[in-house]
Amino acid sequence: MTEKWNITLRIYRQKTGELPHFDDFAMEVDPNEYVLDAIERVWAFHDRSLCFRHACHHSTCGACGMRINGVEKLTCITVIRDVTHNGATLKVEPLRNFPVVSDLAVDMGVFYRKMEMVGARAVLPVTEAEIEHPPATWQPEDARYIRLSDCLECGLCISACPVAATTIEYLGPAPLAAAQDVGLRRSPELLTIIDSEDGLWRCHSAFECTAVCPSFVDPGRRIMNLRKQAIGLKLTKLFGKPGVPQP
Amino acid sequence: MNNQPSSKKFLAWFNPLGRQPGSWAFILSRITALGLTFYLFLHLVVLGRLAQGPQAYQEFLALAESPIVKLGELAVIAAVIYHGLNGIRIILTSFGIGVAHQQRLFYASVALALAGTVFFGIRLFGG
Amino acid sequence: MTTPSSFKPVSGPRPGETAWLWLIKIITGPLLLVVLALHLIVNHYLGSTSSGLMTYDDVIAYFQNPLIPAIEILFVVVVVTHSLIGLRGILLDMNPSRRVLSIITWLLALLGATSIAYGVWLALVIASKGP
Repeated sequence: MTEKWNITLRIYRQKTGELPHFDDFAMEVDPNEYVLDAIERVWAFHDRSLCFRHACHHSTCGACGMRINGVEKLTCITVIRDVTHNGATLKVEPLRNFPVVSDLAVDMGVFYRKMEMVGARAVLPVTEAEIEHPPATWQPEDARYIRLSDCLECGLCISACPVAATTIEYLGPAPLAAAQDVGLRRSPELLTIIDSEDGLWRCHSAFECTAVCPSFVDPGRRIMNLRKQAIGLKLTKLFGKPGVPQP
Repeated sequence: MNNQPSSKKFLAWFNPLGRQPGSWAFILSRITALGLTFYLFLHLVVLGRLAQGPQAYQEFLALAESPIVKLGELAVIAAVIYHGLNGIRIILTSFGIGVAHQQRLFYASVALALAGTVFFGIRLFGG
Repeated sequence: MTTPSSFKPVSGPRPGETAWLWLIKIITGPLLLVVLALHLIVNHYLGSTSSGLMTYDDVIAYFQNPLIPAIEILFVVVVVTHSLIGLRGILLDMNPSRRVLSIITWLLALLGATSIAYGVWLALVIASKGP
């Protein structure tokens, strides 16, 4: 017999021109299901006006990011058992630091534009991907194998970042991590974008981004590495020969 | 509009609830930074008394032995040790050293700051 | 709706390049730790009062060695620089406009220059009080 829990989903609601509020939905759920399943059933059987995003249901598309009990999660892979217990309340809120379009759906436009601006790569040769257990040396022909970039552009990191909370202009963890992945060696013109007042140096090493990333991007580590790249490039420009392209 | 980033949210930083140790490190660094900056300028002003001659300085020395001032000094020591060590954590991680251990580095900074506070506390107040 | 398509996030480099300021901050930081440790040891352990603090005469005598005012001046330059760049970083997180940031930077620079000048003056005054 499948286990049955009785929980209350407390969902953030906000429509245009209205004040936000929370709606409670008493649900009977199987604790081994995912939070997204429960939210979908709320929509299907209780309130058709609930607005939220979901697509692939297997942590590839990045659409279903929300805050569960205050913590950023991809709801399609968040098991109900891991975030609540029988008889308890499960709080569901949209991601922080993005304007709310409707209920749990937020406007990701500015974020996507930032990713474009840094030239975020959606696919990369496997020789450049940071994979576990790479071979000791890559063969030249290995570069023909390509791999999807780890970053899902789900925005959980932006929601968790304390600096992103203060201004929409801050590039944010995912764009900075994407810039690191592209690399200043390949694209030194990125330096102007990241070495700006709202770029790299605003990071305060809170590492909230790394803690919530569902896809092993580890933006905190990448931002730190980007700092090293940036300082290296600036010092080279300062001491290097003008006109000679520096590595 | 609701949920948007806003410069007013910078005060939300000082709320450590539900946050990672990295955030606590950042919050503590900010608080110690502000405290130490205040102390710095206070100290510079007070030292002006040295220029006013031995009498003025003697009065300051007498004040420096009072328990409240000594407690303040202990707070400064604790703040300096923590702020300095977390700063070193930032420098190391910013150059790719020890990023995987950044949480442990934070805990170590706090532990050393506490140890230093106890050590200097005994020196200042004990015997 | 929310943001116009012409919206361009990221302000681009503003006057007062932040990478160099950050570098100065992280170089002055560890330097401070060293100088501060020396400063604390000298001022709390080498004095002639019962608790190790220096009396007026101790300080004057101590300042006769030209190395001492030199180190103290270095100290005040480094600590004021580090502290004010850090303060600017905190104010940056309040997201001032380009104009306000410019004003803040100038005010901090002025405060810094004044404090350093005062510190240098004080060190030289004390050194000059010797026999």
